[in-house]
Amino acid sequence: MAAVIAREVRDGETVAVGTLSPLPAAGVLLAARRHALRATVLIINHEDYWPFRNGSKEFYDFAQRGKIDLFFHSGGQIDQLGNLNLIAIGEHDHPAIRLPGGAGAPMLYYLAGRVILFRTEHTPRIFVERVDCVTSPGSSPPRVPRRGGPAKVVTPLAVLAFNPGSRRLELESVHPGLSFEEVQRSTGFPLVAPRGTPTTPPPTAEDLAILRGPVRTSLAKLYPIFALSAFLAA
Amino acid sequence: MGVPFLPVPGHVGSDYERLRPEFRVIADPYSGKDVLLVPAIAPDVSFLHALQADTEGNLLLDEKEDDCLLAQASRVVVASADEIIAPEALRRAPYGVRLSAIHVTALVHAPGGAHPTACRGRYGLDEAHIREYLRLAASDDSFRDYLQRYVFDLKDHGAYLGEAGLAALAP
Repeated sequence: MAAVIAREVRDGETVAVGTLSPLPAAGVLLAARRHALRATVLIINHEDYWPFRNGSKEFYDFAQRGKIDLFFHSGGQIDQLGNLNLIAIGEHDHPAIRLPGGAGAPMLYYLAGRVILFRTEHTPRIFVERVDCVTSPGSSPPRVPRRGGPAKVVTPLAVLAFNPGSRRLELESVHPGLSFEEVQRSTGFPLVAPRGTPTTPPPTAEDLAILRGPVRTSLAKLYPIFALSAFLAA
Repeated sequence: MGVPFLPVPGHVGSDYERLRPEFRVIADPYSGKDVLLVPAIAPDVSFLHALQADTEGNLLLDEKEDDCLLAQASRVVVASADEIIAPEALRRAPYGVRLSAIHVTALVHAPGGAHPTACRGRYGLDEAHIREYLRLAASDDSFRDYLQRYVFDLKDHGAYLGEAGLAALAP
């Protein structure tokens, strides 16, 4: 997944990774070493990639001024319109599950140029027809100022792409060894596949060497447990 | 800032409009587009633990936090610090956001005052204590036990430090 995320980072852009996001951080660090050498990398609270010295206000003001080209979000539930639920599953006042909350998502999902959604699981309970609570919508009408929104969704099974015309998530590719049917069974909404079902290109040997080497070392400063456990040998 | 509300980006079209009736959507008078207004949060009292403080009440706060904003939004600010030093020493400190004493109502010398959370450069997170807190916070009855042991049964801050395993920090 980190290698797939890395391909989405463009050289020269400003890319930011928020809290509790080791996977996107790994992808961004890989991209910065491989093809996005001039990218400005921001990883919250990482001693080497967080230039803000005045609390979160400095970062949010930076985002509000339209300075973040690429950001990452996850979601307790994600629906086919790209809506995110970070608050509660079930009734809001008596939820079945109370999630951590919206944090910056209700603003950053609108402010970043592109947002890549990621989940380390791909199930119908996560990818639902319609979220129980819209913490942050996938798109907005013209009267609501909005710079950007969802671009892709990356999971262990597939890559989905947001179609701005239909304002819906579509299938972009299926990971090696999986079929369209398996991915559809794991998804709670009908998957449209306008370009057939190409296979997601796997990580290259160079990707893996960079991830398991300098990226792992850098990530360990912020995510020591992830750095120990996540970089499995093939 | 002393203003009654501020416009914030995003949020319009989310369930926050329904869940937070105090948030209001209006037409931006300049662009005509929808914008969300959020009323000011104005605490009566806020408590801050500073990285360092000086004898005049100036504080040095962690650069990751928004403590300066919190202090300037509050009617009363009670600050605590592990160490209170001379003003010249605070001025020379290499790290930290400076908050002027004019914003501080009271300053308390409290070694280990950030426990069980961390105080940069002094002590880290007390994971075991936080796990115990989370376990006991699961019910009202068990939380009463936590409060009894760590608050009501202790006669002063020094006793807390002993109970929390931080006797080495006691003055």
